[in-house]
Amino acid sequence: MSLSTHNLSVGYHDKAIVKQVDLNIPAGKIIALLGPNGCGKSTLLKAMARILSPMDGQVHWQGQNLHNIASKKLAQQLALLPQTQPIPEGIKVKDLVAYGRSPYTGFWGRINKEDHEIIAQVMQETGITELAEQLVSELSGGQRQRVWLAMTLAQDTPYLLLDEPTTYMDLSHQVELMHLLRKLNLQGKTIITVLHDINQAARYCDHLIVMKQGKIITQGAPDSVLTQQLLKEVFSLDAQIHQDPIAQTPMCVVE
Amino acid sequence: MIPLRFSFCAQCLLLLLLLLTCSWISLFSWSVITVTPADALQALYNMDQDSIAQHIAHDLRLPRMLVGIMVGANLAAAGVIMQGLTQNPLASPSVLGINAGAALGMASVSTIAPWFGLLGSSIAAMIGGGIAWAFVMLLGSAWRGGNEHGRLVLAGVAISALCAALTKAVIIIAEDQAAGVLTWLAGSLSDARWQTFDALWPLCLVGLLGAMLIAPTLNLLQLGDDNARNLGVSLMWVKLGGSFLVLLLVGSAISSVGAIGFVGLLVPHMARMLAGQDHRKFLPIAMILGACLVVLSDTISRGIIYPAETPAGAILALIGAPFFIYLVRKRTL
Repeated sequence: MSLSTHNLSVGYHDKAIVKQVDLNIPAGKIIALLGPNGCGKSTLLKAMARILSPMDGQVHWQGQNLHNIASKKLAQQLALLPQTQPIPEGIKVKDLVAYGRSPYTGFWGRINKEDHEIIAQVMQETGITELAEQLVSELSGGQRQRVWLAMTLAQDTPYLLLDEPTTYMDLSHQVELMHLLRKLNLQGKTIITVLHDINQAARYCDHLIVMKQGKIITQGAPDSVLTQQLLKEVFSLDAQIHQDPIAQTPMCVVE
Repeated sequence: MIPLRFSFCAQCLLLLLLLLTCSWISLFSWSVITVTPADALQALYNMDQDSIAQHIAHDLRLPRMLVGIMVGANLAAAGVIMQGLTQNPLASPSVLGINAGAALGMASVSTIAPWFGLLGSSIAAMIGGGIAWAFVMLLGSAWRGGNEHGRLVLAGVAISALCAALTKAVIIIAEDQAAGVLTWLAGSLSDARWQTFDALWPLCLVGLLGAMLIAPTLNLLQLGDDNARNLGVSLMWVKLGGSFLVLLLVGSAISSVGAIGFVGLLVPHMARMLAGQDHRKFLPIAMILGACLVVLSDTISRGIIYPAETPAGAILALIGAPFFIYLVRKRTL
């Protein structure tokens, strides 16, 4: 299984935000997309999930052009958690999570026993079991983010594309989420996530992809990617790289 | 949101009972020649050929009632689909210009080429409604996402006004047909006969079945375009298919009884209050409610200045306009 882009340019209203990107997503890893605001991380993610159509170039899934794959079949392979989510009115948490099973449900959206088991499991993993009967619109931002994440996980896809999944979450839930991602990764899922916290990315991800102005600057293991020079070049930050005393991963400290 | 503590099946049964009662009352109430409630029942299963009262019930009232039921269900279903497709609480055939467009198509054909007959006017109504709908969607840029609520409604109002003006021009040009077209524009079931029923039911059946089939997909559209796509919905096909269903439902209803407004706006919201946000539940509820509302309005329309008839569309507007104002005030658009 593989996901790759070939000379991919994509953007909004004729303006390319991601420019001629060639990228191979290493399968079976947790990959972080890093870069300053507006560098094209979300746009790249949306193009890989086929939410945006390429202006030029292609996205390939298992050697096949993404645009030739049937919608439902693709939805069983790739799941995207968008950055900004609407607040649906009058929908209960358990119903929203159940919509994640749509790519598999039979006639007229019927949910079977296996679906119910998966729904219960992802709700437990994301810690929202107690919220099941509440309305999504009445939750806090962090709770709602976990509900959307549960819906994405219910899709049960080998590839997960997450756009800033830690948004609105307090620190303990952020850590829980990163641990959950590690667990899912061990089960064989490939996870591509946009993160803002470089230290979080370095600690929990296997592979970092750093973007600037629509191009990929560098990529690789956190040890080799994170350098003083890179932080200066990409984020215009004067920072030092130290070693995380617990995980022994690189850690940046701003000067 | 006032979720009533009835199960879905109980709600459906209660509403069906209500519909049966309304329909039965509509068979015998306010007739110049007295029709008793018993006559109305007997005309259904064992008609006495010599009884004028039973002939009235069977030949005039029964088709009128059945057409009312179908028109109500059609318009309500069309409203549900439009609100689902555009994610706009004000979307409905009357607000987004489909009624006015269909009326224009209908009026043009029946004044300029009256020999086309009922099927011809159905098609004219669908084409007119379709063109108006396409213009509204383009002007309101509804294809690009559901956030421009106000813009879509403004486009609908503008297109409706344009169509209404053109319809008036058509009527002025063909003066001898004007009276019939005017009654029809207000929306009235007084001319509904068995032949109207015969022309309407196949389209109605196809339209309502189609609406039920896309109900699960409409559920996913509630989560926004990106999420729907991500869950495997092919947006273009759903929007095209949904629009086609709307035109089928509205076109057939309007060509049968005229431009009845407000059912498509009012009923989906009432149904949501009863059954919640799951389209698989509130769509059938909306169909039954719509049928009740139209049959009831038609019955009232006969009694309000008895023995003369008021168009049922006018009664619906009397109920619908205040509700519309309530919606606009309650919602932030």
